[in-house]
Amino acid sequence: MASVDSIYGLFSDFRSADRGLKDLQAAGVRADKIVVMSPEPFEEYEFARADRKTPMPWIAAAGGLIGGVSGYLLAWYTQVAYPSRIMSGGMPLVSKWPSGIVTYELTMLGAILTTVITLLITARLLHWRFDIYDPEVSYGKILIGVVDPSTDMRSEFEQRLLGAGAEKIKGTGRFSTF
Amino acid sequence: MATKTPEQINEDLLRPLSVVTPKYFLVLGFFLAVVIVAGAAFGHQVYAGLGVTGLNRPVYWAFYITNFVFWIGLSHAGTLISAILRLSNATWRRPVTRCAEVITVFSLSIGASFPLIHLGRPWLAFWLIPYPSERGIWPNIRSPLLWDFFAINTYLIGSVTFLLLPMLPDFALIRDRATGARKRIYRILALGWRGTPRQWHRLETAMHIMAIAIIPVAVSVHSIVSWDFAMAPVPMWHSTIFAPYFVAGAIFSGIAALIIAMAGLRKFLHLEEYLKPVHFENLGKLLLVMSLLWFYFVFSERLTGWYGNEKYEMSVFWVTQRGSFSPLFWTMVFCNFILPAPILAIKKLRTITGTVIASIGVVIGMWLERFLIIVPSLSHKYLPYSWGSYRPSVTEILITAGTFAAMAMLYMLFAKVVPIISVWELKGGEALEHEPSEAILATTEAGARAG
Amino acid sequence: MVIDVDRCTGCEACVVACHAENNIATTGDKQAAMGRATHWIRVERYYEGDFPDVKVKFMPVLCQQCDAAPCEPVCPTFASYHTQEGLNGQVYNRCIGTRYCANACPYNVRFFNFYNPAWDKPLNLQLNPDVSVREVGVMEKCTFCVQRIKAAEIKAQAEKRDVKDGEIQPACVQSCPTDAMVFGDLSDPNSRVSRMAASSRGTKLLDELGTRPKITYLQRESWNGDENA
Repeated sequence: MASVDSIYGLFSDFRSADRGLKDLQAAGVRADKIVVMSPEPFEEYEFARADRKTPMPWIAAAGGLIGGVSGYLLAWYTQVAYPSRIMSGGMPLVSKWPSGIVTYELTMLGAILTTVITLLITARLLHWRFDIYDPEVSYGKILIGVVDPSTDMRSEFEQRLLGAGAEKIKGTGRFSTF
Repeated sequence: MATKTPEQINEDLLRPLSVVTPKYFLVLGFFLAVVIVAGAAFGHQVYAGLGVTGLNRPVYWAFYITNFVFWIGLSHAGTLISAILRLSNATWRRPVTRCAEVITVFSLSIGASFPLIHLGRPWLAFWLIPYPSERGIWPNIRSPLLWDFFAINTYLIGSVTFLLLPMLPDFALIRDRATGARKRIYRILALGWRGTPRQWHRLETAMHIMAIAIIPVAVSVHSIVSWDFAMAPVPMWHSTIFAPYFVAGAIFSGIAALIIAMAGLRKFLHLEEYLKPVHFENLGKLLLVMSLLWFYFVFSERLTGWYGNEKYEMSVFWVTQRGSFSPLFWTMVFCNFILPAPILAIKKLRTITGTVIASIGVVIGMWLERFLIIVPSLSHKYLPYSWGSYRPSVTEILITAGTFAAMAMLYMLFAKVVPIISVWELKGGEALEHEPSEAILATTEAGARAG
Repeated sequence: MVIDVDRCTGCEACVVACHAENNIATTGDKQAAMGRATHWIRVERYYEGDFPDVKVKFMPVLCQQCDAAPCEPVCPTFASYHTQEGLNGQVYNRCIGTRYCANACPYNVRFFNFYNPAWDKPLNLQLNPDVSVREVGVMEKCTFCVQRIKAAEIKAQAEKRDVKDGEIQPACVQSCPTDAMVFGDLSDPNSRVSRMAASSRGTKLLDELGTRPKITYLQRESWNGDENA
């Protein structure tokens, strides 16, 4: 099913994985051509540091703002929409504090929903077809590899990965061993 | 403490998903039976009217609203453990987060069903939703019940996301091991999770934002629930202390429920290596703090009431403390403070058994507290000619029992479908504990090679 | 409305008249023992002293139609609302039965239909066609006989005149044998009810709660025993 070519090594601990990554970088592989997958987030290591920057908090704040404005508009509209302007309990038509509560709740809801949607989009979830994946990752192995390598560099990469401590070398696409 | 290999951890935590014993079906069947009986009782109530309950004039709210507040209160377990401990970087919370978040989602759902159960005409409950109706009428924003609607729904959506997002890597774990139909289901549930650094970073950022967002929502939810009472001019309801009082009480009962759930899981799923005595100890300490805080709130409220000596409030005060409600009142004080505080304060007694006993007491005590807030005040309002009393009917007792059974049943079903301890968070935590010194070695090695 | 407590004999004709006019069912002895009796107007009896120096006070209590009614803002569906004329209206069709209004009412004058009301035959034939019969799960309370108010207003409009003072009489006011209850337009300073409400004998029930009730009770002694006049 994979239409992407790659060569990757499976490492059983992060020290060797880190070595493998550094060896690949030393071999001149560009950062966007390196693929890394791990069963846990390893924040302390170089190989797990890619793709850190995200505007997600700002997007969530913007979502909250939109939610808050909609909340206030909802509270305001539902009170003034009545043709006879219903009064209750001697309170004003658009009461500040109750409207504030509804505004607050919808602000939080907006922030939460925006965060979820941003996560689904930026983490590229909802893509069920994998181009590169190995179930060994969830078994505890760390995958470090090169995407779309040239065929003549193949043995070079395999050597470097094995030298760093990879337990296995596998590939996808035309480098697939199956 | 022997460190387990990742494979062993996977094995232990995923075993409940594939192993089902006849005892499990028996217990599940029992709970299901209770739920069905409760459902029948509710059906009868809808058909015949609320007359089948013990409600009367003036006690128009009793068991159902007690349960409503109780279950919503219990839902603060997850928020505290997951969100607050996550933000404060308390690593001991890792095995406990999912148990807590599950309690939150289920108890919130059960609590949110009570506004439907207690309505006189529940088939019209959708009028609480602000939709453009054909008659051009909208709900009343000034009503605390409508704030309930928004708050509980926001909290429910937030809690469900808070539960589901960290489950993605675990769904991927199960997906890679399962076969056949199960593989297909978990493949869809895992949403294409692969474990790239990008995905990990996005997930952790999202969890961080959610943790920051869900705490104010939780505080607001129980404040708004308390304002269902505080906004009405009823003696001993119309008090400004209600919002913090209820939030503190909610966290209190939530931690107790969590301890009980954890003890159950530990015993029945053989998770002794993961839910260790230190977890119960730490939660026990938190429970102690909340018990003291609860006592402080109750004491403040009662002292100011007694000192103010306002005649309407005093009638409610005395009937609770010395009158017909006093057995329940003193039981509540015993269960919430006198029993738990010594057990949790003395290190020798703060064992798993000790904390579970304290927690069972707290759950009972907090249910009684909700009851004692509602019924004595309503039965002794301003005009003595209209004072009344209340006795629960069979319908109300059955429905209450049904909700407890529903909670247990849902929890049991969940533990069979999803690993109840978050596998990746546990392994990630272990890695952090054991490897920091190795990080220094790795960088020096790389440095030596490069240089 | 003005109620002269010193004139009230406690005969409860107002209660019976209200039942007849507003299609209120009798709940039966078992339900009444549970506390579910429905009486939109009730006469409260207070005894003071021992025989032979017993003093009895009768107080008819009905919905006070408060200007700052605590029952109104708490209803999530606007079933309890304030009409343009200043009454507290109850819309039976809009009520979903949360019973919050009844909890908020300090006077306990709101009633809930715990069961579908039923009348033994042939009493079902004497229902008032001007007043709807409430189904189970709906709150109800005194409306100041709004059907009579509306009827008088429509008649006055048809005859191109104002409503005369004393023309509208709710069922309780009409049936009182001692003329203890007076009903009228409080916004008209010359009406009988406005003049009586200004009396030095006047107090309002639970005035200190800030509900601004519309009913003034006239009595020689106020609640704490002070002389009023």
